[in-house]
Amino acid sequence: MTTTELAHRVRAKIRERGTLRERVRVLEAEVQENRQLNRRIAELTDVVTELLIPLEARDQERVDEVLGRFRTGL
Amino acid sequence: MTVAVSDDGLLVPPGESPLVVEIDGHYVWSLTPVRDGAPAAGGVLVPWPGVLRPYLSGRGRVRVTDPTGSAVLYDDEVGLGAGSGELAVVDRAGHRLSVDKVGHLARSFADTDEQVREEILAGTRRAIDDLREHAGVAAYLNYGALLGAVREGRMLAHDSDTDLCYLSEHTSPADIVAESYRITRAMRAQGWRLLRMSGGDVKLLLPLSDGRVCHIDVFAAFHVNGTFFQLGNRSGDLPRSAIEPFSTIELHGHEFPVPRDPEAMLAFLYGPQWRTPDPSFRYADPPAGVRRLDGWLRGFRTEMGRWTELYNGPRRSAVPAGPSSFAEWVAPQLGDGRAVLDVGTGTGRDALWFARQGRRTGAVDFSRGSLGVVRRRAKRRGLEVEVDQLILGELRSTLAHGTRLARDPHDLYARHLVGCLDTAALDQLWLLSRMALRPSGGRLFLELAAGEPGPSDGLVRRVPVDVVRAGIEASGGVVEHLTVGPGDDMFDLPDPAVCRIRAAWPAPDSQEKR
Repeated sequence: MTTTELAHRVRAKIRERGTLRERVRVLEAEVQENRQLNRRIAELTDVVTELLIPLEARDQERVDEVLGRFRTGL
Repeated sequence: MTVAVSDDGLLVPPGESPLVVEIDGHYVWSLTPVRDGAPAAGGVLVPWPGVLRPYLSGRGRVRVTDPTGSAVLYDDEVGLGAGSGELAVVDRAGHRLSVDKVGHLARSFADTDEQVREEILAGTRRAIDDLREHAGVAAYLNYGALLGAVREGRMLAHDSDTDLCYLSEHTSPADIVAESYRITRAMRAQGWRLLRMSGGDVKLLLPLSDGRVCHIDVFAAFHVNGTFFQLGNRSGDLPRSAIEPFSTIELHGHEFPVPRDPEAMLAFLYGPQWRTPDPSFRYADPPAGVRRLDGWLRGFRTEMGRWTELYNGPRRSAVPAGPSSFAEWVAPQLGDGRAVLDVGTGTGRDALWFARQGRRTGAVDFSRGSLGVVRRRAKRRGLEVEVDQLILGELRSTLAHGTRLARDPHDLYARHLVGCLDTAALDQLWLLSRMALRPSGGRLFLELAAGEPGPSDGLVRRVPVDVVRAGIEASGGVVEHLTVGPGDDMFDLPDPAVCRIRAAWPAPDSQEKR
């Protein structure tokens, strides 16, 4: 292998590593995004169980009471 | 080799053993030279912690010793800063303060009298009972209080609060967050004032007879895929059997539940050297565990501290008190008889002005510091402003306000709010706008610093106008007015590119008719 060929191969390897590093950075950001769904799911669960089920009763007085309690209990 | 004390910090011999610093005969800070300092001529220079600096002006006695106090490295009268008064680290009421292990300034038990200590322990006991009876979780004493009880049979001298943990049955982070919401609700119903610090960490506020408020942290602990996680930020190997069933320990006459194997818990928390006192101890948490806990449980209050600092500090006075030019521009466009809600109200300068014009006004912000300022100002001026917390990073908070506003017609007003929000919170601003404005035909008025995000003071960033317009339109809104030109920033300093927007969220059928 000539020196020029060797230099080419080394440069290609370095480029490849740079791309991998960038891919890891992007993947880490995407993993973190997915982890954040946990809090979103918990918030939706809380709203459904604490609010929507009582609201389904369509009793205005009870609706006001439930909404008021939900807000003060956050 | 000697120690030198100056405005820059302490020049100490290089070493890995902790040192304790007293000012005016009272403990204020502990440090480990090679960890906290940088090599300098004559030793290692450890800078004063930022939280201490405001107090370091005047003359007084500084003493540097080993943790037991037997080896004295320095004990002399010094003059620091430009002040001529007495050097002392005390709060407004004269209580002694010290730097705690997470770098905050707090009162420590060493400066807490017996009656107050008794209140703290009785309050902690009551918290455990309420958590068990009303929130359905079994809590155990942990961290400093556990260490003090096991190692010394008393509260640690340099500790400043008590910490409780409960071992969750759940293994999915979403379930753990939902459980923490239930705990919050149950404890509020029992009359506790509290702060939600993350999806798995609640701070109970216990008022003490000396006017101080003690924080009782209630941390979730849980296993996910075999790894043990315990808030604050701990993660590693600790089996359930090391925690349950609990054993008990006595602390100053009170009996507390503690992990079944307290020594295993202490080694997990503080390492194998936990029996040797080290007031300057800092956690070495595995970064992978911290990343997971950040992703699962945190994000809605990342910048809250910065804002609270602004509202409770001297920089608040840099925000003018009168109405902004934007408020004066918006006022004639507000709906007849319709209320206005100032979203991200800050010091409340515009909300208070709207109220003075005789308009029904609400003011919301995510910072409790802001809400305190607005309430006090409204009261002082005899104005009625409905003040409430809105955390746009929290879906529950956004939905709760959206539901209320859908039935109570408002215009929404938000000056320099957009530049404070992350992508998730910005999306929830559009959700709130749609919920609030669709039924009543109200408007959203926005002012923001336009442009590509660049270096900022960490409070307000520039936002590209396209991003804002796209967000409004994607959520069903219509931009009725948009200008970009010279204007004012949050402090009324000139800004060359300020964007003003008026947007509406027409009901779906009225959009079809247009």
